[in-house]
Amino acid sequence: MLAVIKKELRSYFTSMTGYIFVASFLFFTGLFFTLNNLLGASPDFNRVLASILFIFLLAVPILTMRLMAEETKQKTDQLLLTSPITLTSIIVGKYLAAVIVFVGTLAFTIIYPLIMSTMGKLAWSEILGGYIGFFLFGSALIAVGLFISTITENQVVAAVATFTTLLILWLIDAIIQGLPTDKTAGIIFAVLLAAGIAAIIYFATRNIYVAGGILGAGIIAIVAGYIVNPEIYTGFIGKVLEWFSLYSRYEDFELGVLSLSPIVYYITFSSAFVFLSIRMLEKKRWS
Amino acid sequence: MIQVENLTKRYGQHVAVDNISFTVKPGEILGFLGPNGAGKTTTMNILTGYISATEGRALVNGVDILEEPEEVKKMIGYLPEFPPLYGEMTVMEYLDFVSDIKQVSGQQKKQSMEKIMDLVKIGDVRGRLIKNLSKGYKQRVGLAQAMIGNPQVLILDEPTVGLDPKQIIEIRNLISSLGKEHTIILSSHILPEVSTVCERVIIINKGRIVASDTLENLSKGLGEETKLIIRVAGPEKHVIKVISEVHGVKFVESQGSKEKDTVDIVVESSPDIDIRKPLFYALSRASYPILMMRTMGLTLEDIFLQVITEEKEAR
Repeated sequence: MLAVIKKELRSYFTSMTGYIFVASFLFFTGLFFTLNNLLGASPDFNRVLASILFIFLLAVPILTMRLMAEETKQKTDQLLLTSPITLTSIIVGKYLAAVIVFVGTLAFTIIYPLIMSTMGKLAWSEILGGYIGFFLFGSALIAVGLFISTITENQVVAAVATFTTLLILWLIDAIIQGLPTDKTAGIIFAVLLAAGIAAIIYFATRNIYVAGGILGAGIIAIVAGYIVNPEIYTGFIGKVLEWFSLYSRYEDFELGVLSLSPIVYYITFSSAFVFLSIRMLEKKRWS
Repeated sequence: MIQVENLTKRYGQHVAVDNISFTVKPGEILGFLGPNGAGKTTTMNILTGYISATEGRALVNGVDILEEPEEVKKMIGYLPEFPPLYGEMTVMEYLDFVSDIKQVSGQQKKQSMEKIMDLVKIGDVRGRLIKNLSKGYKQRVGLAQAMIGNPQVLILDEPTVGLDPKQIIEIRNLISSLGKEHTIILSSHILPEVSTVCERVIIINKGRIVASDTLENLSKGLGEETKLIIRVAGPEKHVIKVISEVHGVKFVESQGSKEKDTVDIVVESSPDIDIRKPLFYALSRASYPILMMRTMGLTLEDIFLQVITEEKEAR
């Protein structure tokens, strides 16, 4: 895995991508630090971190678009997949390399609170909380980008798809507001969800019986849920989509509060997408 | 060493590899021959664990590639059709990375890298970026990559594609010498390559094995008649008449005159009779001197075309 990490880090900085990422990231943090803390005369650095979350929309695709897509396109994945290393160490190695570049860049921004600390006392524990949140948040988005990069062999497609996905995640809270909350809509959505999962299973396994079984079990569960407590379908769409609401879970960190549930949420979210990337790579060999 | 049993690979409705089985003995150089799209690359990709078979299994040294992929991959060096190179790395950096992922470490790593660079003659470009290398050098870096970790089995997919004639000969010689220590499977649609390097040939067409034997046996089995081509100084009609009367001659055909006052003639005889001596005496008695005589052994091209046509007819 170390070899993969080393190779990825080298390729970030022998091409433009690493430099573009670092430069744009530092430019925006510097800009917001100047506007908020220096010109705005505010000691609140977590506000800066929270207000530059949007930068991930652009920075994450830059960091992740190449990861697997380029290997597939250049057919260098043949080397990796026929070498005696596991798929897990390939994917996790790539993920960690991207996270290392992100964390390394983030480390530069410590200079801003340090500048502020020369002028007075800072709440360091709050700033630390903010940084942990920012790091977890970014790592979760990198995992999404990595996953998308394993799907396609075109870097540009990977970048655009990642940007769009992150944008949807960004807007998801606003989208939830506009969706119907009544029971009927909830039930229809639940059925569609079960059908969607069954379809994915079918395309992954080409086994109509397994897919049909899952759809059947889903529908039975939906009916059973309705009999036991019909109220669970009120606002069901919102409840499901909220699972993907990464931004709303950042609020605690913005206040400098370290609470367990968003930490667990982000780590789970990242792990899930890293795991899906491994499965995706595995699936390619079977298709 | 390598055992392939009923291997099948389907892409949806398309059958790329159709129920093929073969074995390769240790130290053997096996040629994998077939037209483009015959299933050579797919078979190699399955053997190296790059893709999975739909049915059947492949064993290397008794280990199933599906059950213990890492173990099998340690034993195999693979040069795919397009060498998997990272253009932004130098040759040294690349081989260093390959050594790392093939778990060659420490002192051994440096030594093996030097040895391999020497063997494939890429020492002089070690510090150059791979993307700036010529096709021939890239191919050789690809070959070097396959040799790292000193695997027992080398699988080479069209290793001489895109090389110039001099490089082709170099690579062929290299493969022959590697064959002393490694088991090698080599694919090609270039026939002379297989005939110079390989001991045994598997001909594959549309995903199925149509022939598997040594080159000698293949040409023997297919070329039942023995053909001679001779050049005789004399009038065509008379020469043909004299030759037809020789015992054992089954078929005579004139190829026309390629030299002044001579005629080229193809003579076919039964395989059990050597007609060269009787032919000489007969023509000598008639005072038609033989200027040239050679046997027309079946070339690999002939075998290849014949096998593939035979298969078509059989269907």
